Amino acid sequence: MGVKISNIEVYLPKDTLSNDDLAIEFPDWHSYKIEKKLGIAQRHIAAEDETALDLGIKATEKLVEKYDKNNIDFVILCTQSPDYYLPSSSCILQEKIGLRTDIGAFDYNLGCSGFVYGLGIAKGLINSGMANSVLLVTAETYSKHINKNDIANRSIFGDAGVATIIEKSDKEHVNEFIFGTNGVGKNNLIVPQGGFKHKDSGGEDKINDKTKSADPKCLFMNGPEIFNFTIEAVPVAISSVLEKNNCTMDDIEYVIFHQANKYILNYLRKKINIDKAKFHINMTETGNTVSATIPIALKDALENETIKKDDKVLICGFGVGYSWSATIIEI
Amino acid sequence: MKTSEFIEILVEDLELENVDLAVDTELTELDDYDSLAIMSIIAIADEHFDTTLTAVQLANINTVQSLMDLIGSDKFE
Repeated sequence: MGVKISNIEVYLPKDTLSNDDLAIEFPDWHSYKIEKKLGIAQRHIAAEDETALDLGIKATEKLVEKYDKNNIDFVILCTQSPDYYLPSSSCILQEKIGLRTDIGAFDYNLGCSGFVYGLGIAKGLINSGMANSVLLVTAETYSKHINKNDIANRSIFGDAGVATIIEKSDKEHVNEFIFGTNGVGKNNLIVPQGGFKHKDSGGEDKINDKTKSADPKCLFMNGPEIFNFTIEAVPVAISSVLEKNNCTMDDIEYVIFHQANKYILNYLRKKINIDKAKFHINMTETGNTVSATIPIALKDALENETIKKDDKVLICGFGVGYSWSATIIEI
Repeated sequence: MKTSEFIEILVEDLELENVDLAVDTELTELDDYDSLAIMSIIAIADEHFDTTLTAVQLANINTVQSLMDLIGSDKFE
């Protein structure tokens, strides 16, 4: 017995923000570099009145057109942009979709590592007999956290919602996981204000940015330090997950990392020595959508038939926390 | 590494083909010195020198020479 990913549906907000749009707002900005170096041409941005939960609900609505919603007996929802402190977005989603009421549901707060963590939780719930069909929703709207003058973050992040079904299977399709956590990086990707530590004021000390976009109410990312974390943690995570699954990179048909940006991904690929042909880089139309990038990439690779049935796919998420996780799945 | 080789790598990775880059060039004053350039410098230090450069250290450099001093003067011929 085991579990498998059986369905993925993606919802992208209608409005897009292209590099040309940004170049109009920021005439001094080197827009030509962004597509070339970061591999991003546009991002989808949620409307003013459209939240991460709305994106998650829309993705789930697409999913239940194809999948019997009465099978779903657990919902886990990953976001860092919840509608409310309470209640949990997953409960609101249960009611909006009309899911059964004899099911479990909760939210968890993770960023770019969120999908792989959710997959691990879903596997645990199913293999321990607590659930048969888990709906994993990864929905994020970092655009709402970003200061409008913050060209660096606006050029990277896009919004998206993804609904994924993980269900019981005759054979195990989701193999062993590795997890990583290091709170030493807590200040390097943070929204300092708005929680109870600094509710309406304070938190300025968390920001080492002297530009006009520095605002403790908004998302702050220390790019150089996040890059340092990534190039240190990810290669170790990859060798650990291969070892834990008793295989080598040669046994892996395809590799999907969290689509942070093209520059970071290319650097990691070279450092870890992964064949270019089996390494996913595609965030041209969506940007870095945080916990949504890996399932978007999975769906993309499946639809393009880059990955086929029974292929071994290594997935790795890494980011805010710091938090990271990796596993090997068979589609 | 030879200083000339290091300068060639900087020119290529930071896309500074239009700059007459020398050890006394003020890197941080260049138009192209942005967050992408800083990421490239971190990658160069990691790939070629197996050295980690922190954000705080990088905030204090100005010339190419100061970057070389940060990486370690013993690593250059």
